[in-house]
Amino acid sequence: MGILDKLEQVRLEAKERIEMQKTIHDLHQEKAKYLGKKGVIADFMKLMKDATPDERKEIGKISNEIKQKISNYIDEQKTLIEELEIKAKLESETIDVTLPGLDVQKGTKHILNQVIEEIEDMFIGMGYTVEEGPEIENDEYNFEKLNLPKDHPARDMQDTLYITEESLLRTHTSPVQVRTMLAAEGQPIKIICPGKVYRRDDDDATHSHQFMQIEGLVIDKTTTLSDLKGTLQEVARKMFGDDREIRLRPSYFPFTEPSVEVDVTCSNCDGVGCSMCKGTGWIEILGAGMVHPNVLEACGYNSEEYQGFAFGMGVERIAMLRHGIDDIRHFYTNDLRFLKQFK
Amino acid sequence: MKVSYKWLSDYIDSVGSMHDLADKFNAMSQEIADVYDLTKATNIVVGEVVEKVKHPDADKLNVCQVNIGEMTQIVCGAPNVDVGQKVIVALPGCELTEMKIKKAKVRGVESNGMICSLAELGIDKKYCDASGIEVLPENAEVGANPLEFLSLDDQVMELDLTPNRADLLSMMGVAYDTAALLDAELNLPYPNVVEIDEVNPVKVSIETEKCMSYYTRVIKNVTITESPKWMQARLIASGVRPINNVVDITNYIMLETGQPLHAFDLDKVKTNKIVVRQANKDEVLKTLDDQDRNLLESDIMITNGTESVALGGVMGGLDTEIDENTKYVLLESATFNPVSIRRTSRRLDLRSEASMRFEKGVDPNRTVLALERATEMFASYAGGEVLKGINFVENNDLEEKVVEITLPFINKYVGKEYTMDEIMNVFDRLNFEYDVDGDAFNVKVPTRRQDITMKFDLIEEIVRINGYDNIPLTLPKAVSVGKLTTSQKRRRNIKSILLGLGLDEVVTYSLVNENKVHELTTSKEEYVKLLMPMSEDKAVMRHSALTGMIQAIQYNVARKNTDVRVFEISNKYTEGEDLLLNIVVTGNQVSKQWSGAAKPVDFYFLKGIVETLSNELGIHLEYVKAELNENYHPGQSATIIQNGNVVGHIAKLHPKYEANNDLNDTFVMELNLAKVDFGAEVTKFVPLQKYPTMERDIAIEADRALPVGDMITVIKAAGKKLLKQVEVFDVYTGEYIAEDKKSVAIKLYFNDPERTLETEEVNNRVDKIVQKLQDELKVKLRD
Repeated sequence: MGILDKLEQVRLEAKERIEMQKTIHDLHQEKAKYLGKKGVIADFMKLMKDATPDERKEIGKISNEIKQKISNYIDEQKTLIEELEIKAKLESETIDVTLPGLDVQKGTKHILNQVIEEIEDMFIGMGYTVEEGPEIENDEYNFEKLNLPKDHPARDMQDTLYITEESLLRTHTSPVQVRTMLAAEGQPIKIICPGKVYRRDDDDATHSHQFMQIEGLVIDKTTTLSDLKGTLQEVARKMFGDDREIRLRPSYFPFTEPSVEVDVTCSNCDGVGCSMCKGTGWIEILGAGMVHPNVLEACGYNSEEYQGFAFGMGVERIAMLRHGIDDIRHFYTNDLRFLKQFK
Repeated sequence: MKVSYKWLSDYIDSVGSMHDLADKFNAMSQEIADVYDLTKATNIVVGEVVEKVKHPDADKLNVCQVNIGEMTQIVCGAPNVDVGQKVIVALPGCELTEMKIKKAKVRGVESNGMICSLAELGIDKKYCDASGIEVLPENAEVGANPLEFLSLDDQVMELDLTPNRADLLSMMGVAYDTAALLDAELNLPYPNVVEIDEVNPVKVSIETEKCMSYYTRVIKNVTITESPKWMQARLIASGVRPINNVVDITNYIMLETGQPLHAFDLDKVKTNKIVVRQANKDEVLKTLDDQDRNLLESDIMITNGTESVALGGVMGGLDTEIDENTKYVLLESATFNPVSIRRTSRRLDLRSEASMRFEKGVDPNRTVLALERATEMFASYAGGEVLKGINFVENNDLEEKVVEITLPFINKYVGKEYTMDEIMNVFDRLNFEYDVDGDAFNVKVPTRRQDITMKFDLIEEIVRINGYDNIPLTLPKAVSVGKLTTSQKRRRNIKSILLGLGLDEVVTYSLVNENKVHELTTSKEEYVKLLMPMSEDKAVMRHSALTGMIQAIQYNVARKNTDVRVFEISNKYTEGEDLLLNIVVTGNQVSKQWSGAAKPVDFYFLKGIVETLSNELGIHLEYVKAELNENYHPGQSATIIQNGNVVGHIAKLHPKYEANNDLNDTFVMELNLAKVDFGAEVTKFVPLQKYPTMERDIAIEADRALPVGDMITVIKAAGKKLLKQVEVFDVYTGEYIAEDKKSVAIKLYFNDPERTLETEEVNNRVDKIVQKLQDELKVKLRD
């Protein structure tokens, strides 16, 4: 058997050995065995010194070829082993993806404040600022400056919780309007006033001695009743959907003239008439009007020059209508099963 | 105000359907509370009782043969049924409010219907006699519709009146508005009084400004009887119970004109004098309802010159009441000060149809009209003879005020381009007289509309009668910048941080029980108490939302929502109103899951939330062990301090308090946002570290009671500028250390922004820190 045949035999043997290896470590040992400085191929090279120059040339060429082939076998086997190793790792790491995730907490904003912030953001977008004021008010700001002198029959409309003859829990957020007007000293105003208000009402499904109100007030030289109507349509659409319509009906508040109640087309039946809107197709959502000249004058404006509108809505009512909540007490009981529903 | 369709139809020819009219009222005038038929009964006829025999098997029942055009047999249980009576018969198929009539056997005897009372037809028992069947007058025709005969075939529209529209407390006022809404002709009644020669002897004088006018008529020889059926039906439709012709006429005319009237028995008045004055000190009057009324000097009294005979505008006196023997009726039509009437009627809790109208103000130009209409009716329906002359005092300003308004002003105010014709059309429909001068209107406002005093009031009339639907939709033209204030933005930021940390937001009541107001506060400041609380539980304004939040926790825990982590941002109600943040946590921070055990909340969980919040807000808070009050755990309570000022507290509730309130381990926090200094709004950039940070660990052995916070304070002071951060990474107590000791492992971070630190200078600094700890806190360093 010549050297060349022996080399060919080495190649075959090496191929077989290499393909048997299962780990990178064992593969490296095989590599050293065949291709290392003291490996099989190197041994053959040592035999070359006894060969003729032609033979040497031939052996050199063939042994290089075989060296290259064995190197390829090792590379191929290496790739194979790595793939198998990754596969085994993936198998060992496989989990039950149907088990529930870990308990990570996220809180829920109270639905009343969600509604308030939505309305605030809408009005901020229209150039309004948000004004706040004390909940313990005096008679002058809560009533008298709003065209409601002490013996005014309309005081019956709002049963008041008094602290002394002169101080009381505000029955609406209108005293914030009064404070803002007085501070503005006759300059234009564009504000909304959210906040807690209080009335002498026994709590039941539709009444609450404490509730949230948002009022709005715009005063300048050009503000009109049609501006009020347009603004309220924006509110109705923001709160109840883009295809809602509104209508104004005459009403009475001492602090506005004319005064209106505002209805929105029922979102339950789309204005056809259902039990929610008592068959009328309309649902009352807020009260509004043009600021009464007596209020303007009492708060530092010339009513011949300045005019404005005001509106006020009950936040609970808006939330109840929009979300189908049937009892106003839910808002203040704070049952987590209730709070968590309004994400 | 309840409006009878038949009555309204007297004044307006074509009212149309009541439901259509109600829609118009809703859109253009007043809210309609309801529209309904006065009675819904059908299948009823007038019958005549021809024979009545006792039921063989029932004492209280009679078997009647009734002629209803044919003879029919009806078993009747009413005590007043009798032969010869004309009665209301409900035939089989008739649906009454409480039953459906069928052919039936009543204790074995056939009965083909029922003989009815008005109450059984659906008339409210307040307005009719429900004790027996209704007996109709002789002239009722057998087989006719009894509702038509009684004028009860009527519809009622109920107005939900706003306080300004006192004019709509009369049928005439409703008719004026209806005419305007329908653009229809109006026919109002005009009185026609026939007088006899005998002269009205009553002399009237007024001694108080609170009575503005007082008119009298005297009618003699009146016969007290039942009023006509149509009048009774209209009173019933209006919600007034018929009594007798004299009372009914005064009520009817009050409803017609809005002017309350009062009838005295002139013989009982004793003098021919009426003097109106304010009450004397300690004066008492027995009113018609047989009650002694203690009067104040501010009340208005009608007197005969010496004795009081009526409480003016509120109620008549019992001693001068009309009765069946009355011969001379003194009829009063007067006007009184609305505020005075309101005060008197409220104080005495005497709120009548009359006082309600006086309170809101009556039309002074209808005082005589009402007097004359009633006088006319006393002649027609009570057989009275009218004495000559009206005796009166009149101090009202009866002139109609002129209000001026211009078209440009209307259009500028409303934001719509009305035409002159459109405006004139509105005033015409309202029956307002006016002059036109260029683009200006001078409108003579009728005294019936006392709510209209200025041009703005006229604008409301224009807008509603022309129609709110015609107003365009626009937005304010003025441009302005909308934004939240810094503190409003911060409040939203605090909320979003806390929501992100898994806390739910709650809103609780501000009013609390007086006993609870200081339960969880750290000081006992004065609180605000209601003058007349609705209940003890809602009597005072709270000093901390914790009061309400604890109730919310109790509510949830009782319903098996045991893991509750909530916050509320709300006011503290004292002299001023500081904004507070309160947090309450109880139950687990991580619930039991397949992956591991539950992890209950504790002091450090809550403190971690507060620290995260303060880091996010860029503020530095310190926590100092404190005893807050008896409801807090003495070993787990701290005040929260910023720059040396107390700004809040954090604590576990006392186990006794928890047990008394059915709470599990519960931790609370309060931060007075009004007292916290939030610093500059804009964050200033701090350059990133260029040079490496060096770390050193030290382990300190100290008494268990020594707060780690004290060690950190000493370390920071000794560490000076190079010490950038101090981190507690282990606290050990246990078998490898003395029982009263603990070991605290602390990591120190050193850095200089300008250069790389030398190992030696850091070591020196650590040595100094250790020295200080040993000197000041008597602790030992562990190796």
